[in-house]
Amino acid sequence: MSEGATELLPPHIAADFYLWLWWRSEEQSGRFSLDEGAPVELYLDDRLALRDTGEERPTTLLTGDSPGTTPEARAAVLGGKVPKELRLLIRREDREYRVTLRGERIGIAGAKLPTQVKTGEVAEVLYDRMFVYEELHWIVACLLRQFAAARVAADWRSEQVPHIRDWLASLDDRGSGG
Amino acid sequence: MAILKGGLSVRRYRIIGELPEGFTDVFVDALNTNQFREPQSPTHKGEASGWCQVHNLLDVDFSDVNLWLYNQYALFALRVDKKVVPARLLRAHLEKRMQAWCSANNRPRVPAAVKEELREALEQEMLQKTLPRVQTFEVCWHQNDGWLLFTSDSELPNERFQKLFLRTFALRAVPWSPLDELVGTVGLPEALVSLGATDLRGSVR
Repeated sequence: MSEGATELLPPHIAADFYLWLWWRSEEQSGRFSLDEGAPVELYLDDRLALRDTGEERPTTLLTGDSPGTTPEARAAVLGGKVPKELRLLIRREDREYRVTLRGERIGIAGAKLPTQVKTGEVAEVLYDRMFVYEELHWIVACLLRQFAAARVAADWRSEQVPHIRDWLASLDDRGSGG
Repeated sequence: MAILKGGLSVRRYRIIGELPEGFTDVFVDALNTNQFREPQSPTHKGEASGWCQVHNLLDVDFSDVNLWLYNQYALFALRVDKKVVPARLLRAHLEKRMQAWCSANNRPRVPAAVKEELREALEQEMLQKTLPRVQTFEVCWHQNDGWLLFTSDSELPNERFQKLFLRTFALRAVPWSPLDELVGTVGLPEALVSLGATDLRGSVR
């Protein structure tokens, strides 16, 4: 078995990943296409934590329905804060996941898994839980690969960033302007 | 928050090294050798740790593989016990003991050496009456694919887990990195890591 990577994502790149997920989920109405075209829906759920750049701990925590659509969230990012953790709702086929991704480890926390087997033989419960966990891990990995390709692309600076900035500003305008 | 029920909060690991031939038998011995053991002295201070069954933290015998090995998945738990005397209660009792010593010896103050003796004796008494704080962290190891889940994201339990796992199985558990998912594209992890921050307030650095 290979050693694999020994370092983590730099914190600012992990923050870019979370922002990219947030932006793309709103721009694409939650529709993503994973490896081999597998469709998945992804939405920001009910929690978004932001931190000041250079800080470890979140300094802004937004909870409730669709915190990503609030003027406060957009204003915080335009003011220089970056996402530290976000709770996602993910749907694939008839399975629905709720999961918090956080930190530079892209750690999985508080994952509600769409298991079929709730009680009974330990083995059956375990296989079912691990099947859906592995699917969740695969979905996150696919999204991370898509983000990485976009982030290193030559047009990140010239194309993607202006789009993100416009998206942030548009909602901020709507939020503050009514 | 656990492997078998409830919300799942985990740190993922890759397992580095080859499984030994006849690894099931080898691992039964390894788990039993490193099973959780109660400290021999009831006044033991500090931490005790070792492996236990997921189903009941008092079960520490791994001889029956049906209780912890489910095809490709090994399921067990790290148990960590820690006995701590409440500091404020210790100080309060010590104050009473020192007052009693001064009265008994007709002295205005307790010499430092005596104070230390009183404190140690009191701490031993209180440790005997104190139950440990018990924590368990579950481990689910996919032995065929070489990955593992550990149900804590805190640094200290993870460090303890990595050390005990290496000592038990002679295999290294290395924390999964998001960059692991990018190694299939040559140069992508290196390119990503070398990028600066995106500043949405103004120009990109």
